[in-house]
Amino acid sequence: MSKPNIELQKFRTKRGKRLLTHLISTSLQYKLWIAFLLLLIVIGMIGYYRQLRYGLEVTALRDYTSWGIYISNFVFFVAISLVGSLFSSILKLNKNEWARPLTRISEIIAVAAIICAAVIIIVDMGRPDRFFYVIKYLRIQSPIIWDVIIISTYLVISLLLLYISLLPDIALCRDRLTEIPNWKKKLYRITAINWQNHPRQIAMLQKVNTILAIAVLPVAFAIHTVTSWLFATTWRPGWDSTNLGPYFVSGAFMAGAAVIIVTMYFIRKHLKLGSYITNLHFDKMGKLLVLLSLVYLYFNINEYLGPAFKMVGVEGEHITELFVGNYAPMYWFVQLGGLVLPIIFLMFNRFRKPLPILIISIFVVLGAWFKRFLIVIPSLQHPYLPIQGVDESYLHYNPTWEEWAITISSFAWLLLIITVLIKLFPVIPIKKYKHGSETVSEQNIF
Amino acid sequence: MVLKLSLNKIFSKMKSNKNLYGYFLRIMLLAHLFFIGDFSMYGQDSLAVAEVSLSFSDEDDVKTIIATAVDASGIPIEELDLYFYVTRTFSELPIGDVFNTTDENGVVKIKFPNDLPGDTEGNVEIVVKIIESDLYNDFTLKVIKNWGMPTTMLDQSEEKRSLWAAAANAPITLVLATSGMILVIWFIIGYIIFILYKISRIKVVSS
Repeated sequence: MSKPNIELQKFRTKRGKRLLTHLISTSLQYKLWIAFLLLLIVIGMIGYYRQLRYGLEVTALRDYTSWGIYISNFVFFVAISLVGSLFSSILKLNKNEWARPLTRISEIIAVAAIICAAVIIIVDMGRPDRFFYVIKYLRIQSPIIWDVIIISTYLVISLLLLYISLLPDIALCRDRLTEIPNWKKKLYRITAINWQNHPRQIAMLQKVNTILAIAVLPVAFAIHTVTSWLFATTWRPGWDSTNLGPYFVSGAFMAGAAVIIVTMYFIRKHLKLGSYITNLHFDKMGKLLVLLSLVYLYFNINEYLGPAFKMVGVEGEHITELFVGNYAPMYWFVQLGGLVLPIIFLMFNRFRKPLPILIISIFVVLGAWFKRFLIVIPSLQHPYLPIQGVDESYLHYNPTWEEWAITISSFAWLLLIITVLIKLFPVIPIKKYKHGSETVSEQNIF
Repeated sequence: MVLKLSLNKIFSKMKSNKNLYGYFLRIMLLAHLFFIGDFSMYGQDSLAVAEVSLSFSDEDDVKTIIATAVDASGIPIEELDLYFYVTRTFSELPIGDVFNTTDENGVVKIKFPNDLPGDTEGNVEIVVKIIESDLYNDFTLKVIKNWGMPTTMLDQSEEKRSLWAAAANAPITLVLATSGMILVIWFIIGYIIFILYKISRIKVVSS
């Protein structure tokens, strides 16, 4: 394929040119990045082939730890998918104009994360061919069914959110990018569904946008609350808590905000969008992250203080294991490195600059992932009803290389979906419409 | 290694067994396998046929299963481990002791528990097996016996609606609440898709 000439395209504004350039020029760095992700995916596929061939025996999952890093990873993906609703709903309805350039990034992350979450559930199944039994023998009493329903609903809503905000920009790509391969022209033509910036079209889109912004919020809360109920309705120490729903939701918003900061840093750097994703955005995101982390800290205190004060039976053993036992290093890394210290650092101006906040956010994301590990695994190792004469190996859980390979490749998939979507569609909303009291006018702001 | 162990076992058994001729033949056969190296025969044709028959006694509410093991020529087999089970819904429930070994008459007796549920008429399927014996082929015998407690089949339509009931008997409030929520949200999704369709149908008159 010959390199498309940027000058041949029909750009009308400087802004349009700057925001569409990355769709038509492909750097070597980009190709290497894709190759690297594909390599990780291939390694994961080898691991998954072995899991399909020999069964879940190749994993470290046994009768006690039957949910390993696959399910912790699933909870993590569901958590970061909530960030779409944070931007497209909460910040939008509260008229936070500064967050507008980040909306698209958050919606792309939400779509990629919820797809990966749905797939990782299938990976966790020993017999994936039996997945449709879940639907065939549907029991509405089972929280797993609630989760399947809500995940598919949220996937559709996330796709709609992304698509509706993209629609005018896709039409722009269709009209402005003339010197591009035919398949891309076709893609833009079909997905733009005859969008012509007609005032009636704009009015309808505005209406749909508002409906979706309101509708996504209860669904987003439901998806992570239902995920928390998978645990809360199971009788295990650490999960037997009424606090679990808000604890999960607040943790999800915190993790999602940190993921946005990491993503926007790299997008700004590699797509040279410094004038759209500014230091102000990092500063605002830093403050938002502090707020979300404080809420999460509050629920963390609620989650651990009660059982730690009472130290009753197996619940006490579970707390001891986390505070001073085998999982103590991970637990204190998560609570201090991934929660308390970021709150303290981000209160100071100098740490809300792009590079320091990137490093802090990476710690928050790592903390969030290991937090899900700590929620899932230690609880499983301390059942209320232990198995008699249990095999020694059931008491420990060290994931095998197949599990790590598959988990890492799920991250590669996440990044690949994000990268491809960013490569195909404008990552910063280009068109902006202002809905006045009488007229609908088109504006190019920024 | 396997052969050596088998030979040792056979020699130890020969000391306490009258049927020396049978053992002599087996030793010759194993020696033949050992020297010729024809391992394909081992584990298939080399094992003898054993049969187990069951009889039952029920005195003063003590139910006993009496199993008798004989070889092909009808001679009782001593020191043969038999395994007893009762067929359940998903697998076989072991009954008797951990090891149930036949005596010099080829007989082993085990007690049958009084409280095992059977079908509507109280029938249970009793299974006796010879598994991985060094000398005899695997063997399974299944006998239906009216020794279980009769159970009444649950009529699902009469089952109370509850969280633990079958899918058809979910609590009505749960069914209504979940269906209501699903309908509302999918109605909104459908409406949005309908508006998108309307957007695509708007004709723009180009000037």
